[in-house]
Amino acid sequence: MSQQHPDPATPLWRAAQVFRLLSVLYALGFQIAVNGDLARPGPAWALFAVLVGWSLAAAVAYLRGFGRRTGWVLAEFAVSIALLFSTRWVAGPAWVADNQSWPTTLWLANAVVSAAILRGPYAGMGAGLAMMGCYALEKGVLEINLGRSAGLVIVLAVGLAVGLAARTARRVQAELDRAAKLTAVAAERERLARQMHDGVIQVLALVARRGREIGGPTAELAELAAGQERALRRFAGTGQFGDPAPAGAELDLRALLDPSAGDRVLLSMPATAVPLPAEVATELAAAVRNALDNVVRHAGPDATAYVLVEDLEDEVTVSIRDDGVGIAPGRLQTARAEGRLGVEKSIVGRLAALSGSARLHSDDDGTEWELTVPRVGRR
Amino acid sequence: MTTVMVVDDHPIWRDAVARDLADDGFTVVATADGVATARGRAALVHPDVVVMDMSLSDGDGVRATAAVLEVSPGSRILVLSASGEREDVLQAVKAGATGYLVKSASKTELADAVRATAAGRAVFTPSLAGLVLGEYRRLARRSKSGQPALTERETEVLRHVAKGLTAKQIAARLSVSHRTVENHVQATFKKLQLSNRVELTRYAIEHGLDRDG
Repeated sequence: MSQQHPDPATPLWRAAQVFRLLSVLYALGFQIAVNGDLARPGPAWALFAVLVGWSLAAAVAYLRGFGRRTGWVLAEFAVSIALLFSTRWVAGPAWVADNQSWPTTLWLANAVVSAAILRGPYAGMGAGLAMMGCYALEKGVLEINLGRSAGLVIVLAVGLAVGLAARTARRVQAELDRAAKLTAVAAERERLARQMHDGVIQVLALVARRGREIGGPTAELAELAAGQERALRRFAGTGQFGDPAPAGAELDLRALLDPSAGDRVLLSMPATAVPLPAEVATELAAAVRNALDNVVRHAGPDATAYVLVEDLEDEVTVSIRDDGVGIAPGRLQTARAEGRLGVEKSIVGRLAALSGSARLHSDDDGTEWELTVPRVGRR
Repeated sequence: MTTVMVVDDHPIWRDAVARDLADDGFTVVATADGVATARGRAALVHPDVVVMDMSLSDGDGVRATAAVLEVSPGSRILVLSASGEREDVLQAVKAGATGYLVKSASKTELADAVRATAAGRAVFTPSLAGLVLGEYRRLARRSKSGQPALTERETEVLRHVAKGLTAKQIAARLSVSHRTVENHVQATFKKLQLSNRVELTRYAIEHGLDRDG
């Protein structure tokens, strides 16, 4: 096939060849019935052989696709007209006056159908008019009385209907192509955006790294770049981990904690999702943020916080450790007495509400929270 | 003299890393931007250490890690990657990488990591420990026989590493030597890599890939 896409009119071409077969059978019946009345029965059979041969060639050409061009349709039209104009010679003038043309009007309609499929409703009706004009010429009479001879109307109607069907099929295909092209353009744009994001992220990461090495005022620029790098990475990486969305109202705890990551907060988590019921995950993540806020406030500006998420199937544990100054023995009690441990209360309260536990532990290596929530009714 | 190959699809970053490593006295023998080039060049220069990014021009760092180790089994792979690519990093470790550093690491940290990798030590950051720990827990949940499992001591060590404790601090806590802590860490790696190989072999046998034709 010469086209890139399958021709949207292909089903019509196929149907037309079925019509062609039926019209040949009809013509054969007619030929057998009237042969005895013809002036030259021998040549009539020879010409009928031409009709069958051409019909076969046209069917193959249209079905395979190589015939679906103006040249072929014009050739078909020429062969049809030639056979039509042989009527008077084959049959004799008296027969012509009383009968339809020798190859039959039904068979002649094939050329009209082909023109309509190839070029649409106007070409179809034009071909019908031309065909019926030749018919009138051969017969020597222009049959105006459409009530007695419906041939012209039927051929015109066939040209119109088939032509409209072909045009509709092509328009639908064109719209589908346009939609597919738009989708491809959108996908390409997204791919380019991803690449660009990646490029910007890399440069920001580099600026942050170099800036920190140079130090001084440049370190401030480095922090700005690092912040933007994290923001862009989060934006570009939304949903990039490819874990299937947990069923029902479950959330991946990792996704809730990811935004907390930064220069002073390091996250250690499994590579696969840690699903928890949405309200449990949200509360647990809030408690983790409370603990991280606490690190910023109490562990000193240089402290780093490490968050470890562990999925133990029947429970989930989150440890938040900082390597800051730690809480001197007795300090905890003093703070508690002074009512300065609001954060601690909030964390313990949240975990108690989830039927979990929150433990605080402090030594020379820093301070550590261990938050545990049970998983209820899982597997 | 330690030879290094830098694999990263971003030219600015790649050149900066290569320059930093050269400043620190390493010999950068090659750079590459993708799986195919990494494989081709590693086969020629057999670098001691490959600094490997996870997102490459023609594939990912997991395939590149496997490809490089195939043609240059003596090379050691240090993953240098963005923090978000957890699954990829884990797969790279299973494919044979022995270290992981995030791209926000400083010049000094990178140099130390390359030196450690060249010396055959695992570069174990807290986030990598979290990934490996998570993977063992996932395998335990599948509870098939023949899966690698952690000893109690190994679990303890991994948890400490994941919480940001240094090898020295861990050694002090567990009253063992610094070297013992590192051995425990390496053991957890080796078992994962081995199980990965066993899994691949089992897959090949089950799917008839071990027979010709």
